[in-house]
Amino acid sequence: MSDEEIIRLEHLTKVFRNKHAVTAVDDVSFDVRKGEIFGLLGPNGAGKSTLIRILTTLILPTSGTAYVGSFEVTKGAEDVRSIIGVCPQNSTLDLELTAYDNLDFYGRLLNVEDGVRDARIWELLKMADLTDRANSRVSTFSGGMRRKLEIVRAFLHRPLILFLDEPTIGLDPDSRFEVWKQIKDLNTAETTIILTTHYMDEAEKLCNRIAFMDNGRLIALATPEDHKRALPSGDLIDIGFDRLDERVLPALRDSGIITSAEVKEKTIRISARNGNSVLPQIIGIFERFSVPMTSISIRSPSIEDVFIHLTGRKLDSGEGEQPQPATRGRPA
Amino acid sequence: MTLIKGAIAIFRRDIKKFISTPYVIVFTLFMPIMYLVIFGNAIGGTITGIHIGVVQSEPYTVETPLFAQSVEALRNFRSAADKPTVFDVTIYPDENTAKLALARGEISGVVVFPSTLPDDTTVRVYEDSSDYAIPALMEGGITASVASTGATKPLAINQIYGKIEYFQFFGVGVIVMAIFMTTMMGGAFALIRDREQGIIEGYLVTPVKRSSIILGIIGSGTVKAFLAGFIIVIVDVVVAGIVIRTLDQFLLVLLVLAISSVGVTALVVSVASRFNTQQEYASTVAFFNLILFMTSGAFYPPQGMPDWLRWITTINPEWYTVHALRSILLRGQGLTVIGYDLIALCIFSAAAIILGIATYKRTIE
Repeated sequence: MSDEEIIRLEHLTKVFRNKHAVTAVDDVSFDVRKGEIFGLLGPNGAGKSTLIRILTTLILPTSGTAYVGSFEVTKGAEDVRSIIGVCPQNSTLDLELTAYDNLDFYGRLLNVEDGVRDARIWELLKMADLTDRANSRVSTFSGGMRRKLEIVRAFLHRPLILFLDEPTIGLDPDSRFEVWKQIKDLNTAETTIILTTHYMDEAEKLCNRIAFMDNGRLIALATPEDHKRALPSGDLIDIGFDRLDERVLPALRDSGIITSAEVKEKTIRISARNGNSVLPQIIGIFERFSVPMTSISIRSPSIEDVFIHLTGRKLDSGEGEQPQPATRGRPA
Repeated sequence: MTLIKGAIAIFRRDIKKFISTPYVIVFTLFMPIMYLVIFGNAIGGTITGIHIGVVQSEPYTVETPLFAQSVEALRNFRSAADKPTVFDVTIYPDENTAKLALARGEISGVVVFPSTLPDDTTVRVYEDSSDYAIPALMEGGITASVASTGATKPLAINQIYGKIEYFQFFGVGVIVMAIFMTTMMGGAFALIRDREQGIIEGYLVTPVKRSSIILGIIGSGTVKAFLAGFIIVIVDVVVAGIVIRTLDQFLLVLLVLAISSVGVTALVVSVASRFNTQQEYASTVAFFNLILFMTSGAFYPPQGMPDWLRWITTINPEWYTVHALRSILLRGQGLTVIGYDLIALCIFSAAAIILGIATYKRTIE
């Protein structure tokens, strides 16, 4: 590995063999660079969590290799565990212990020195806004409070690499915002962060680079800007209608001001560069054929549009959902 | 109708879950069968192979007909014609050697025959009264054997440990059950719950070693088991009337409790380290509890059990614990007698700890 890279995956594959074999991760190769926030995006069942579990030494790959830091995940599992921090997707807090005791337990497991552990725990409790609940059992906490506690626990020992598996799942907008702030702060302290999510805005706001996964495969990897640039067209204009005149579509396509136009149910989706300036002309065409419009929307393409472009479906549509064969235990 | 509909939904769900856990089904059915086999054999079985010593008292001049005929009768004594012989008879050269063997627990009783023949001299019997059922059986067998020679010698019975109630006999056995039950619910259960609730996924990604996890669990389980065993010792003293005579005895009891707690906890943890669900664990451990407690001699002497069950006692840590505790508490014996038990318990504990660490899964698959 070069100095730039901190994680490298080479043809990583994981097949779960229960009643029938499920390929959760299918020949995935990529690198993560030192100090970046790396996003793994994909629908449920795309293989994100399985990938994270392999990288965090919880499960063994079926084939291929992965290096975390300079250690191979199967042979150097113990070394890998000493440089990573993990916030798993499902809660792993001990509900019978207090917030403080949960952090203290992990502080000891993570070899945080006795002299600094207490101060570090209070620092984190303050960060998670849980100072006044430090001595309450976690079972009395709301979902958001638990999530925040779990996230701060992951970087108790200031790890070199932080894995966050769906960190903001189930959080309200305020809490999500706080978590994002924490993630950014941590990143400025040179921690490399690997983040899985199926929230577009989260990935777009936070990540330096985004890898799309679908059905266990890596389908694209680039910066958010490059992803969008790869889209064939610029802005997206959706125009709703009740009844379409068949001449509208050819007229739009022949106008030379748009790159594409497609009809989907009662909406026509038009892609065009400089959407704002060509919109009046498009409306002119509709009026020319006396087609009444029920709605008009115009927006820049999002990361979600990139995913739709790549896979032909929405990110959270639930299509292609696979059972999560990971652990027995809490439902994924 | 909604009542029935709801009931059917719950019924269907539970049946579906039940048939999807074949392991638990097997063990659920297995349990009563094991109860039948073990209980039936352990308690209903005939006690055979009781070791007794015979000796003719001084001055020894010549082997009397009474001695020769009685020993022959004892050797052939059976509870029924088709059963094996009850006694395993050893002839000792003198009374002191025989009594020493009795004190060491090598034999259950000594019969001392008089060397002269007048009818008024008694046949003296010294019996290990700390055992259950065996003293009564010995007395019956010896009376019958002597009577079969035609002699009318009265028997003089000496209970070398005084009169011991079944309550006391059983009370000592229950200490080991307290240790096992606490271990079952305590230490190892935490391990399973961590796995089942997914908490384990959190700490398996920390640098904590597999052996640290197992040693930590065994450590906490041992403390809980030790305390439980200690409480039953107190109950035995207060309620069952067991007497602890010296500080040495008290310390020895604590030592046996401590080593036993480590051994039993380590065994249960090594069983638990492979299981993912509480159900699987609970049914397996309940089975272990049954077989280990039944063959421990806690409430019935293993001499009454068939060979295959008696074989289990030799690898059963609870057997050594029960033996050691009875030696100290009921017979007032010390380290020279229980040393063997302690060595066996230590070997067992070490093996169970190694097994627990070796079988613990460091991944979550």
